[in-house]
Amino acid sequence: MNVVETSGLTKRFGDRVAVKDVDLRVPRGSAFGYLGPNGAGKTTLIRMLLGLTKATSGEMRLLGRPVPAERAAALARVGAIVEEPRFHGHLTGRENLSVIAAAREPEAHARIDGALARVGLAQRADDRVKSYSLGMRQRLGVARSLLADPELLILDEPTNGLDPAGIQEFRHMIRGFVDEGRTVLLSSHLLDEVEKICDQVAIVDRGQVVVQGSIAELAADGKQTILVATGDNEQAFRILGEHRAIQSMAPENGAFRIALHSDVEAEAAAGDISRRLVLGGVAIRRFEPTRVSLEQRFLEITSRLEESA
Amino acid sequence: MNPRLANAEFLKLRKRRGLVAAVSAVTILPMVVAYVVLLVLHANDPGKHGPAGGLENFMPSIDILTTLTILAAVLIGATLGTGDLTAGVFRELVVTGRSRLSLFTARIPAGLAVLLAPVAVAFGITAAASRAFAGSLEAPSSTVLAQSGAWLALMAGVSMVIALGVSSLFSSRGTSIGILLGWQLGVMPVLLAIGSLGSFREGLFYAAADRLQPAALADGPTQVPMAVATAVVVLVAWTVIPLAFGAWRTQTRDA
Repeated sequence: MNVVETSGLTKRFGDRVAVKDVDLRVPRGSAFGYLGPNGAGKTTLIRMLLGLTKATSGEMRLLGRPVPAERAAALARVGAIVEEPRFHGHLTGRENLSVIAAAREPEAHARIDGALARVGLAQRADDRVKSYSLGMRQRLGVARSLLADPELLILDEPTNGLDPAGIQEFRHMIRGFVDEGRTVLLSSHLLDEVEKICDQVAIVDRGQVVVQGSIAELAADGKQTILVATGDNEQAFRILGEHRAIQSMAPENGAFRIALHSDVEAEAAAGDISRRLVLGGVAIRRFEPTRVSLEQRFLEITSRLEESA
Repeated sequence: MNPRLANAEFLKLRKRRGLVAAVSAVTILPMVVAYVVLLVLHANDPGKHGPAGGLENFMPSIDILTTLTILAAVLIGATLGTGDLTAGVFRELVVTGRSRLSLFTARIPAGLAVLLAPVAVAFGITAAASRAFAGSLEAPSSTVLAQSGAWLALMAGVSMVIALGVSSLFSSRGTSIGILLGWQLGVMPVLLAIGSLGSFREGLFYAAADRLQPAALADGPTQVPMAVATAVVVLVAWTVIPLAFGAWRTQTRDA
Protein backbone atom coordinates (compact mmCIF):
# COMPACT_ATOMS: atom_id res chain seq x y z
CA MET A 1 0.00 0.00 0.00
CA ASN A 2 1.16 3.52 -0.71
CA VAL A 3 1.03 6.07 2.09
CA VAL A 4 1.35 8.98 -0.32
CA GLU A 5 -0.26 9.01 -3.74
CA THR A 6 -0.53 11.99 -6.00
CA SER A 7 -1.95 12.19 -9.45
CA GLY A 8 -1.40 15.07 -11.82
CA LEU A 9 -0.55 17.33 -8.90
CA THR A 10 0.21 20.83 -10.10
CA LYS A 11 0.90 24.15 -8.40
CA ARG A 12 1.22 27.41 -10.25
CA PHE A 13 2.31 30.78 -8.91
CA GLY A 14 1.03 33.08 -11.62
CA ASP A 15 2.75 32.02 -14.83
CA ARG A 16 5.39 30.01 -13.03
CA VAL A 17 4.77 26.30 -12.57
CA ALA A 18 6.36 25.15 -9.32
CA VAL A 19 5.01 21.59 -9.40
CA LYS A 20 3.91 20.02 -12.66
CA ASP A 21 1.76 16.91 -13.08
CA VAL A 22 3.43 15.00 -10.29
CA ASP A 23 2.41 11.35 -9.93
CA LEU A 24 4.08 10.14 -6.78
CA ARG A 25 3.82 6.77 -5.02
CA VAL A 26 5.45 6.38 -1.62
CA PRO A 27 5.30 2.76 -0.41
CA ARG A 28 4.45 2.09 3.23
CA GLY A 29 7.41 1.25 5.46
CA SER A 30 10.03 2.79 3.20
CA ALA A 31 12.48 5.62 3.54
CA PHE A 32 11.59 7.57 0.43
CA GLY A 33 13.82 10.31 -0.89
CA TYR A 34 12.33 13.18 -2.84
CA LEU A 35 15.48 14.34 -4.50
CA GLY A 36 16.08 17.41 -6.59
CA PRO A 37 18.11 20.57 -6.88
CA ASN A 38 17.14 23.72 -5.03
CA GLY A 39 14.08 25.33 -6.57
CA ALA A 40 12.85 22.06 -8.07
CA GLY A 41 9.51 22.29 -6.24
CA LYS A 42 10.17 19.84 -3.41
CA THR A 43 8.98 22.06 -0.58
CA THR A 44 5.96 23.21 -2.58
CA LEU A 45 4.86 19.61 -3.05
CA ILE A 46 5.25 18.94 0.67
CA ARG A 47 3.33 22.08 1.52
CA MET A 48 0.47 20.91 -0.68
CA LEU A 49 0.45 17.46 0.90
CA LEU A 50 0.21 19.03 4.34
CA GLY A 51 -2.48 21.54 3.44
CA LEU A 52 -0.23 24.56 3.92
CA THR A 53 -0.99 25.75 0.41
CA LYS A 54 -3.64 24.74 -2.08
CA ALA A 55 -2.92 22.71 -5.18
CA THR A 56 -3.83 24.31 -8.48
CA SER A 57 -4.97 20.94 -9.84
CA GLY A 58 -4.54 17.23 -9.31
CA GLU A 59 -5.35 14.75 -6.58
CA MET A 60 -3.60 13.63 -3.40
CA ARG A 61 -4.07 10.82 -0.91
CA LEU A 62 -2.32 10.59 2.42
CA LEU A 63 -2.50 7.29 4.32
CA GLY A 64 -5.24 6.27 1.94
CA ARG A 65 -7.38 9.31 2.61
CA PRO A 66 -8.10 11.98 0.03
CA VAL A 67 -6.80 15.41 0.93
CA PRO A 68 -7.91 18.07 1.43
CA ALA A 69 -11.33 16.38 1.81
CA GLU A 70 -10.21 14.24 4.77
CA ARG A 71 -7.20 16.28 5.69
CA ALA A 72 -7.74 16.29 9.46
CA ALA A 73 -8.04 12.51 9.71
CA ALA A 74 -5.08 11.97 7.38
CA LEU A 75 -2.78 14.41 9.19
CA ALA A 76 -3.64 12.95 12.60
CA ARG A 77 -1.04 10.23 11.89
CA VAL A 78 1.44 12.39 10.01
CA GLY A 79 4.42 14.16 11.56
CA ALA A 80 6.28 16.76 9.57
CA ILE A 81 9.16 19.17 9.53
CA VAL A 82 8.78 21.74 6.80
CA GLU A 83 11.93 23.72 6.05
CA GLU A 84 13.55 24.92 9.27
CA PRO A 85 11.52 23.84 12.32
CA ARG A 86 10.16 26.92 14.08
CA PHE A 87 9.18 27.41 17.71
CA HIS A 88 8.11 30.02 20.18
CA GLY A 89 11.48 31.12 21.51
CA HIS A 90 10.03 32.41 24.76
CA LEU A 91 8.67 28.96 25.66
CA THR A 92 10.67 25.95 26.79
CA GLY A 93 11.07 22.90 24.60
CA ARG A 94 8.51 21.03 26.66
CA GLU A 95 6.04 23.93 26.50
CA ASN A 96 6.42 24.13 22.75
CA LEU A 97 5.57 20.46 22.47
CA SER A 98 2.66 21.00 24.82
CA VAL A 99 1.28 23.70 22.51
CA ILE A 100 1.36 21.32 19.54
CA ALA A 101 0.04 18.40 21.60
CA ALA A 102 -2.99 20.55 22.43
CA ALA A 103 -3.80 20.67 18.73
CA ARG A 104 -3.53 16.90 18.41
CA GLU A 105 -5.42 14.04 20.06
CA PRO A 106 -5.53 14.00 23.90
CA GLU A 107 -3.00 11.13 24.03
CA ALA A 108 -0.37 13.39 22.45
CA HIS A 109 0.41 15.01 25.82
CA ALA A 110 1.45 11.65 27.22
CA ARG A 111 3.99 11.27 24.40
CA ILE A 112 5.92 14.45 25.21
CA ASP A 113 8.43 12.95 27.64
CA GLY A 114 9.08 9.94 25.44
CA ALA A 115 9.58 12.11 22.37
CA LEU A 116 12.03 14.38 24.19
CA ALA A 117 13.98 11.38 25.46
CA ARG A 118 14.01 9.82 22.01
CA VAL A 119 15.76 12.83 20.50
CA GLY A 120 18.09 13.30 23.48
CA LEU A 121 16.58 16.54 24.75
CA ALA A 122 15.20 15.39 28.07
CA GLN A 123 17.89 17.29 30.01
CA ARG A 124 17.24 20.56 28.17
CA ALA A 125 13.47 20.25 27.90
CA ASP A 126 12.81 22.97 30.43
CA ASP A 127 15.15 25.52 28.89
CA ARG A 128 13.76 28.20 26.64
CA VAL A 129 14.03 27.33 22.97
CA LYS A 130 15.75 30.62 22.17
CA SER A 131 18.82 29.18 23.93
CA TYR A 132 18.83 26.07 21.70
CA SER A 133 21.36 25.45 18.94
CA LEU A 134 20.15 24.71 15.41
CA GLY A 135 20.83 21.03 15.92
CA MET A 136 18.75 21.00 19.10
CA ARG A 137 15.92 22.74 17.28
CA GLN A 138 16.05 20.13 14.55
CA ARG A 139 15.83 17.41 17.16
CA LEU A 140 12.99 19.21 18.91
CA GLY A 141 11.27 19.37 15.53
CA VAL A 142 11.53 15.60 15.26
CA ALA A 143 10.20 15.24 18.80
CA ARG A 144 7.27 17.45 17.84
CA SER A 145 6.50 15.32 14.82
CA LEU A 146 6.54 12.19 17.02
CA LEU A 147 3.64 13.52 19.09
CA ALA A 148 1.33 12.23 16.39
CA ASP A 149 2.73 8.69 16.78
CA PRO A 150 3.09 9.04 13.03
CA GLU A 151 2.68 6.37 10.41
CA LEU A 152 4.24 8.85 8.01
CA LEU A 153 7.02 11.34 8.72
CA ILE A 154 7.56 14.08 6.16
CA LEU A 155 10.93 15.73 6.59
CA ASP A 156 11.90 18.63 4.37
CA GLU A 157 15.67 19.09 4.15
CA PRO A 158 16.05 17.87 7.74
CA THR A 159 19.84 17.97 7.91
CA ASN A 160 20.23 21.56 6.73
CA GLY A 161 22.67 23.35 8.98
CA LEU A 162 23.68 20.28 10.96
CA ASP A 163 27.31 19.42 11.59
CA PRO A 164 28.63 16.04 10.36
CA ALA A 165 28.03 14.36 13.70
CA GLY A 166 24.50 15.73 13.78
CA ILE A 167 23.86 14.51 10.25
CA GLN A 168 25.02 11.03 11.13
CA GLU A 169 22.87 11.01 14.23
CA PHE A 170 19.92 12.13 12.16
CA ARG A 171 20.45 9.34 9.65
CA HIS A 172 20.41 6.74 12.41
CA MET A 173 17.25 8.27 13.83
CA ILE A 174 15.47 8.14 10.49
CA ARG A 175 16.50 4.55 9.85
CA GLY A 176 15.23 3.77 13.35
CA PHE A 177 11.82 5.16 12.44
CA VAL A 178 11.70 3.00 9.32
CA ASP A 179 12.71 -0.04 11.33
CA GLU A 180 9.71 0.64 13.57
CA GLY A 181 7.46 0.35 10.52
CA ARG A 182 6.96 4.07 9.95
CA THR A 183 7.33 5.59 6.52
CA VAL A 184 9.69 8.49 6.04
CA LEU A 185 9.36 10.87 3.11
CA LEU A 186 12.55 12.89 3.01
CA SER A 187 13.10 15.76 0.65
CA SER A 188 16.65 16.77 -0.01
CA HIS A 189 18.97 18.28 -2.55
CA LEU A 190 21.80 16.22 -1.07
CA LEU A 191 22.29 13.14 -3.20
CA ASP A 192 24.64 11.49 -0.80
CA GLU A 193 22.18 11.94 2.04
CA VAL A 194 19.31 10.34 0.13
CA GLU A 195 21.49 7.49 -1.05
CA LYS A 196 22.61 6.74 2.51
CA ILE A 197 19.21 7.00 4.17
CA CYS A 198 16.60 6.00 1.62
CA ASP A 199 15.67 2.84 -0.17
CA GLN A 200 13.22 4.45 -2.59
CA VAL A 201 13.65 7.69 -4.46
CA ALA A 202 11.94 10.08 -6.84
CA ILE A 203 14.13 12.49 -8.74
CA VAL A 204 12.46 15.80 -9.37
CA ASP A 205 13.57 18.63 -11.60
CA ARG A 206 11.77 21.85 -12.50
CA GLY A 207 8.63 20.70 -10.74
CA GLN A 208 8.42 17.36 -12.51
CA VAL A 209 9.19 13.88 -11.23
CA VAL A 210 11.67 12.60 -13.75
CA VAL A 211 12.04 9.08 -12.44
CA GLN A 212 11.10 7.10 -9.34
CA GLY A 213 11.86 3.67 -8.00
CA SER A 214 14.25 1.88 -5.69
CA ILE A 215 17.73 3.33 -5.47
CA ALA A 216 19.23 0.01 -6.60
CA GLU A 217 16.99 -0.01 -9.68
CA LEU A 218 17.77 3.57 -10.57
CA ALA A 219 21.49 3.12 -10.17
CA ALA A 220 21.32 -0.14 -12.17
CA ASP A 221 19.61 1.73 -14.97
CA GLY A 222 22.65 3.92 -15.33
CA LYS A 223 25.94 3.15 -17.03
CA GLN A 224 28.12 0.43 -15.56
CA THR A 225 31.79 1.21 -15.86
CA ILE A 226 35.08 -0.58 -15.26
CA LEU A 227 38.29 1.25 -14.45
CA VAL A 228 41.22 -0.71 -15.92
CA ALA A 229 44.98 -0.14 -15.64
CA THR A 230 47.29 -2.45 -17.56
CA GLY A 231 50.96 -2.80 -18.50
CA ASP A 232 50.09 -1.88 -22.08
CA ASN A 233 46.98 0.21 -22.47
CA GLU A 234 47.35 0.53 -26.26
CA GLN A 235 47.34 -3.27 -26.64
CA ALA A 236 44.37 -3.48 -24.30
CA PHE A 237 42.49 -0.94 -26.43
CA ARG A 238 43.17 -3.06 -29.52
CA ILE A 239 42.01 -6.28 -27.86
CA LEU A 240 38.82 -4.78 -26.46
CA GLY A 241 38.02 -2.50 -29.38
CA GLU A 242 35.55 -4.89 -30.94
CA HIS A 243 33.94 -6.14 -27.70
CA ARG A 244 30.14 -6.10 -28.06
CA ALA A 245 29.51 -5.24 -24.38
CA ILE A 246 31.64 -2.11 -24.49
CA GLN A 247 30.05 1.18 -25.39
CA SER A 248 33.12 3.37 -25.02
CA MET A 249 36.61 3.53 -23.56
CA ALA A 250 38.33 6.68 -22.36
CA PRO A 251 41.73 7.34 -20.77
CA GLU A 252 41.65 8.30 -17.11
CA ASN A 253 44.76 9.12 -15.07
CA GLY A 254 47.07 6.57 -16.72
CA ALA A 255 44.32 3.97 -16.83
CA PHE A 256 41.17 3.86 -18.92
CA ARG A 257 37.49 3.64 -18.11
CA ILE A 258 35.27 1.23 -19.96
CA ALA A 259 31.58 2.10 -20.19
CA LEU A 260 29.33 -0.90 -20.76
CA HIS A 261 26.15 -0.91 -22.77
CA SER A 262 23.18 -0.60 -20.44
CA ASP A 263 21.60 -3.87 -21.63
CA VAL A 264 24.54 -6.15 -20.83
CA GLU A 265 24.96 -8.20 -17.70
CA ALA A 266 27.76 -6.32 -15.99
CA GLU A 267 29.39 -9.18 -14.05
CA ALA A 268 29.57 -11.49 -17.03
CA ALA A 269 30.93 -8.70 -19.24
CA ALA A 270 33.60 -7.83 -16.67
CA GLY A 271 34.66 -11.49 -16.49
CA ASP A 272 34.91 -11.74 -20.25
CA ILE A 273 36.88 -8.51 -20.56
CA SER A 274 39.47 -9.56 -17.97
CA ARG A 275 39.75 -13.04 -19.58
CA ARG A 276 40.43 -11.51 -23.03
CA LEU A 277 43.08 -9.18 -21.66
CA VAL A 278 44.88 -12.04 -19.92
CA LEU A 279 44.65 -14.27 -23.01
CA GLY A 280 45.99 -11.33 -25.07
CA GLY A 281 49.07 -11.21 -22.83
CA VAL A 282 48.20 -7.89 -21.18
CA ALA A 283 49.14 -7.59 -17.52
CA ILE A 284 46.25 -6.23 -15.48
CA ARG A 285 47.33 -3.92 -12.66
CA ARG A 286 43.92 -2.59 -11.72
CA PHE A 287 40.40 -3.77 -12.53
CA GLU A 288 37.50 -1.98 -10.77
CA PRO A 289 33.94 -2.55 -11.91
CA THR A 290 32.03 0.51 -10.68
CA ARG A 291 28.43 0.55 -9.69
CA VAL A 292 26.99 3.90 -10.75
CA SER A 293 26.09 5.97 -7.71
CA LEU A 294 22.80 7.73 -7.43
CA GLU A 295 24.72 10.97 -7.78
CA GLN A 296 26.05 9.96 -11.19
CA ARG A 297 22.61 8.76 -12.22
CA PHE A 298 21.07 12.00 -10.99
CA LEU A 299 23.57 14.04 -12.97
CA GLU A 300 22.92 11.90 -16.04
CA ILE A 301 19.18 12.49 -15.78
CA THR A 302 19.32 16.18 -15.03
CA SER A 303 21.98 16.87 -17.67
CA ARG A 304 19.79 15.12 -20.26
CA LEU A 305 16.96 17.40 -19.25
CA GLU A 306 19.14 20.48 -19.56
CA GLU A 307 20.24 19.40 -23.03
CA SER A 308 16.66 18.85 -24.16
CA ALA A 309 15.47 22.16 -22.66
CA MET B 1 -14.15 25.90 21.48
CA ASN B 2 -11.43 23.43 22.43
CA PRO B 3 -10.28 24.01 26.05
CA ARG B 4 -6.88 22.37 25.43
CA LEU B 5 -6.20 24.75 22.57
CA ALA B 6 -7.37 27.71 24.64
CA ASN B 7 -5.04 26.63 27.47
CA ALA B 8 -2.16 26.42 25.02
CA GLU B 9 -2.91 29.94 23.77
CA PHE B 10 -3.06 31.13 27.37
CA LEU B 11 0.33 29.53 28.05
CA LYS B 12 1.89 31.24 25.03
CA LEU B 13 0.55 34.59 26.13
CA ARG B 14 1.22 34.48 29.85
CA LYS B 15 4.80 33.38 29.24
CA ARG B 16 5.49 36.60 27.37
CA ARG B 17 6.89 38.32 30.42
CA GLY B 18 7.40 41.63 28.69
CA LEU B 19 3.82 41.78 27.50
CA VAL B 20 2.37 40.74 30.85
CA ALA B 21 4.56 43.33 32.59
CA ALA B 22 3.54 46.04 30.11
CA VAL B 23 -0.16 45.26 30.46
CA SER B 24 0.10 45.24 34.25
CA ALA B 25 2.07 48.47 34.16
CA VAL B 26 -0.45 50.33 32.04
CA THR B 27 -3.48 49.14 33.99
CA ILE B 28 -2.58 48.56 37.65
CA LEU B 29 0.29 50.97 38.16
CA PRO B 30 -1.51 54.20 37.13
CA MET B 31 -4.40 53.45 39.47
CA VAL B 32 -2.03 52.83 42.37
CA VAL B 33 -0.07 55.98 41.59
CA ALA B 34 -3.22 58.07 41.14
CA TYR B 35 -4.69 57.12 44.51
CA VAL B 36 -1.36 57.43 46.31
CA VAL B 37 -0.99 60.97 44.89
CA LEU B 38 -4.57 61.84 45.87
CA LEU B 39 -3.98 60.49 49.36
CA VAL B 40 -0.75 62.44 49.78
CA LEU B 41 -2.34 65.65 48.51
CA HIS B 42 -5.31 65.24 50.84
CA ALA B 43 -3.05 64.43 53.77
CA ASN B 44 -0.89 67.50 53.15
CA ASP B 45 -3.68 69.98 52.61
CA PRO B 46 -7.18 68.66 53.42
CA GLY B 47 -8.66 72.14 52.93
CA LYS B 48 -7.52 72.44 49.36
CA HIS B 49 -7.65 68.76 48.34
CA GLY B 50 -10.69 66.68 49.22
CA PRO B 51 -10.65 62.99 50.13
CA ALA B 52 -8.90 60.67 47.67
CA GLY B 53 -11.92 58.40 47.22
CA GLY B 54 -15.61 58.88 46.61
CA LEU B 55 -17.66 58.82 43.45
CA GLU B 56 -16.12 62.15 42.47
CA ASN B 57 -12.69 60.57 42.02
CA PHE B 58 -14.00 57.18 40.95
CA MET B 59 -15.57 58.52 37.71
CA PRO B 60 -12.40 60.04 36.21
CA SER B 61 -10.38 57.07 37.42
CA ILE B 62 -12.62 54.70 35.49
CA ASP B 63 -12.39 56.97 32.43
CA ILE B 64 -8.59 56.76 32.55
CA LEU B 65 -8.66 53.04 33.27
CA THR B 66 -10.94 52.52 30.27
CA THR B 67 -8.48 54.24 27.96
CA LEU B 68 -5.59 52.27 29.43
CA THR B 69 -7.57 49.05 29.16
CA ILE B 70 -8.11 49.72 25.44
CA LEU B 71 -4.36 50.19 25.08
CA ALA B 72 -3.69 46.92 26.92
CA ALA B 73 -6.35 45.15 24.85
CA VAL B 74 -4.70 46.30 21.64
CA LEU B 75 -1.31 45.03 22.80
CA ILE B 76 -2.71 41.64 23.75
CA GLY B 77 -5.01 41.26 20.75
CA ALA B 78 -2.27 42.20 18.28
CA THR B 79 0.16 39.76 19.91
CA LEU B 80 -2.43 36.99 19.83
CA GLY B 81 -3.25 37.60 16.20
CA THR B 82 0.33 37.57 14.99
CA GLY B 83 2.31 35.54 17.55
CA ASP B 84 2.15 32.18 15.77
CA LEU B 85 2.81 33.73 12.37
CA THR B 86 5.77 35.76 13.57
CA ALA B 87 7.32 32.77 15.29
CA GLY B 88 6.63 30.58 12.23
CA VAL B 89 4.62 28.19 14.39
CA PHE B 90 1.33 28.69 12.56
CA ARG B 91 2.28 26.17 9.89
CA GLU B 92 3.31 23.69 12.58
CA LEU B 93 -0.18 24.00 14.05
CA VAL B 94 -1.84 23.66 10.66
CA VAL B 95 0.16 20.51 9.97
CA THR B 96 -1.55 18.83 12.91
CA GLY B 97 -4.74 18.76 10.84
CA ARG B 98 -6.61 20.87 13.38
CA SER B 99 -9.02 23.26 11.67
CA ARG B 100 -7.71 26.76 11.26
CA LEU B 101 -10.95 28.16 12.60
CA SER B 102 -10.55 26.30 15.89
CA LEU B 103 -6.95 27.54 16.11
CA PHE B 104 -8.27 31.07 15.64
CA THR B 105 -11.19 30.93 18.05
CA ALA B 106 -9.05 29.42 20.81
CA ARG B 107 -7.23 32.72 21.00
CA ILE B 108 -10.27 34.63 22.23
CA PRO B 109 -10.69 33.13 25.74
CA ALA B 110 -6.91 33.11 26.23
CA GLY B 111 -6.65 36.79 25.35
CA LEU B 112 -9.56 37.70 27.58
CA ALA B 113 -8.06 35.77 30.49
CA VAL B 114 -4.70 37.51 30.21
CA LEU B 115 -6.30 40.92 29.74
CA LEU B 116 -9.07 40.76 32.30
CA ALA B 117 -6.84 39.63 35.18
CA PRO B 118 -4.81 42.88 35.47
CA VAL B 119 -7.84 44.97 34.50
CA ALA B 120 -9.78 43.33 37.33
CA VAL B 121 -6.95 44.07 39.75
CA ALA B 122 -6.79 47.68 38.59
CA PHE B 123 -10.55 48.00 38.88
CA GLY B 124 -10.48 46.38 42.32
CA ILE B 125 -7.88 48.89 43.50
CA THR B 126 -9.95 51.76 42.10
CA ALA B 127 -13.19 50.49 43.61
CA ALA B 128 -11.64 49.74 47.00
CA ALA B 129 -9.83 53.07 47.16
CA SER B 130 -12.90 55.04 46.11
CA ARG B 131 -14.87 53.53 48.96
CA ALA B 132 -12.13 53.29 51.60
CA PHE B 133 -10.97 56.86 51.15
CA ALA B 134 -14.39 58.44 50.45
CA GLY B 135 -14.30 60.40 53.69
CA SER B 136 -16.99 63.04 53.55
CA LEU B 137 -17.70 62.34 49.85
CA GLU B 138 -20.41 60.11 48.49
CA ALA B 139 -18.97 56.61 47.96
CA PRO B 140 -19.87 54.71 44.80
CA SER B 141 -22.67 52.28 45.51
CA SER B 142 -22.38 48.55 44.90
CA THR B 143 -24.66 48.97 41.88
CA VAL B 144 -22.40 51.64 40.40
CA LEU B 145 -19.35 49.46 41.02
CA ALA B 146 -20.99 46.44 39.41
CA GLN B 147 -22.15 48.45 36.40
CA SER B 148 -18.75 50.08 36.02
CA GLY B 149 -16.95 46.77 36.27
CA ALA B 150 -19.21 45.18 33.67
CA TRP B 151 -18.81 48.15 31.33
CA LEU B 152 -15.02 48.06 31.70
CA ALA B 153 -15.00 44.32 30.98
CA LEU B 154 -17.16 44.95 27.91
CA MET B 155 -14.81 47.62 26.60
CA ALA B 156 -11.82 45.38 27.29
CA GLY B 157 -13.39 42.40 25.55
CA VAL B 158 -14.58 44.27 22.47
CA SER B 159 -11.26 46.10 22.08
CA MET B 160 -9.28 42.88 22.42
CA VAL B 161 -11.44 41.08 19.87
CA ILE B 162 -11.15 43.97 17.40
CA ALA B 163 -7.37 43.92 17.82
CA LEU B 164 -7.28 40.14 17.34
CA GLY B 165 -9.31 40.35 14.15
CA VAL B 166 -7.41 43.29 12.68
CA SER B 167 -3.97 41.86 13.47
CA SER B 168 -4.94 38.46 12.05
CA LEU B 169 -5.97 40.27 8.89
CA PHE B 170 -2.82 42.37 8.55
CA SER B 171 -0.43 39.74 9.96
CA SER B 172 1.82 42.43 11.40
CA ARG B 173 1.85 43.29 15.07
CA GLY B 174 3.44 46.70 14.66
CA THR B 175 1.18 47.76 11.82
CA SER B 176 -1.90 46.54 13.63
CA ILE B 177 -1.02 48.32 16.87
CA GLY B 178 -0.39 51.52 14.93
CA ILE B 179 -3.68 51.30 13.05
CA LEU B 180 -5.71 50.36 16.10
CA LEU B 181 -4.29 52.96 18.45
CA GLY B 182 -4.51 55.60 15.76
CA TRP B 183 -8.12 54.72 15.10
CA GLN B 184 -9.26 54.14 18.69
CA LEU B 185 -7.42 56.96 20.39
CA GLY B 186 -7.00 59.42 17.54
CA VAL B 187 -9.38 59.26 14.59
CA MET B 188 -12.52 58.01 16.31
CA PRO B 189 -12.64 60.68 19.05
CA VAL B 190 -12.13 63.33 16.35
CA LEU B 191 -14.94 61.91 14.20
CA LEU B 192 -17.19 61.77 17.24
CA ALA B 193 -16.58 65.46 17.86
CA ILE B 194 -17.60 66.47 14.32
CA GLY B 195 -21.29 67.16 14.81
CA SER B 196 -21.91 67.69 11.10
CA LEU B 197 -21.39 63.95 10.51
CA GLY B 198 -24.80 63.51 12.16
CA SER B 199 -26.15 60.00 12.38
CA PHE B 200 -23.10 58.53 10.63
CA ARG B 201 -21.46 58.81 14.02
CA GLU B 202 -23.87 56.19 15.37
CA GLY B 203 -21.75 53.60 13.62
CA LEU B 204 -18.69 54.49 15.65
CA PHE B 205 -17.62 52.12 18.38
CA TYR B 206 -17.14 54.93 20.92
CA ALA B 207 -20.58 56.39 20.24
CA ALA B 208 -22.18 53.05 21.01
CA ALA B 209 -19.96 52.53 24.04
CA ASP B 210 -20.81 56.03 25.26
CA ARG B 211 -24.52 55.19 24.99
CA LEU B 212 -24.10 52.02 27.03
CA GLN B 213 -21.92 53.63 29.68
CA PRO B 214 -23.45 53.46 33.20
CA ALA B 215 -25.27 56.70 33.98
CA ALA B 216 -23.21 57.22 37.13
CA LEU B 217 -20.05 57.46 35.06
CA ALA B 218 -21.45 59.80 32.43
CA ASP B 219 -20.37 63.39 32.82
CA GLY B 220 -23.18 64.72 30.64
CA PRO B 221 -25.53 63.71 27.84
CA THR B 222 -24.23 61.20 25.30
CA GLN B 223 -22.35 62.74 22.39
CA VAL B 224 -24.39 60.85 19.81
CA PRO B 225 -27.96 60.16 20.91
CA MET B 226 -29.15 56.73 19.84
CA ALA B 227 -31.37 53.89 21.00
CA VAL B 228 -29.84 51.30 23.31
CA ALA B 229 -30.71 48.57 20.77
CA THR B 230 -28.80 50.48 18.09
CA ALA B 231 -25.81 50.82 20.38
CA VAL B 232 -25.86 47.08 21.08
CA VAL B 233 -26.05 46.31 17.36
CA VAL B 234 -23.15 48.66 16.65
CA LEU B 235 -21.00 47.05 19.35
CA VAL B 236 -21.86 43.56 18.12
CA ALA B 237 -20.94 44.62 14.58
CA TRP B 238 -17.62 46.04 15.79
CA THR B 239 -16.96 42.70 17.44
CA VAL B 240 -18.12 40.34 14.73
CA ILE B 241 -16.85 42.04 11.57
CA PRO B 242 -13.14 42.29 12.51
CA LEU B 243 -13.33 38.76 13.92
CA ALA B 244 -14.85 37.49 10.68
CA PHE B 245 -12.12 39.13 8.62
CA GLY B 246 -9.43 37.73 10.90
CA ALA B 247 -10.95 34.25 10.76
CA TRP B 248 -11.25 34.43 6.98
CA ARG B 249 -7.61 35.44 6.61
CA THR B 250 -6.51 32.68 8.98
CA GLN B 251 -8.51 30.17 6.96
CA THR B 252 -7.24 31.23 3.58
CA ARG B 253 -3.62 32.27 4.07
CA ASP B 254 -0.71 30.11 2.95
CA ALA B 255 0.81 28.74 6.14
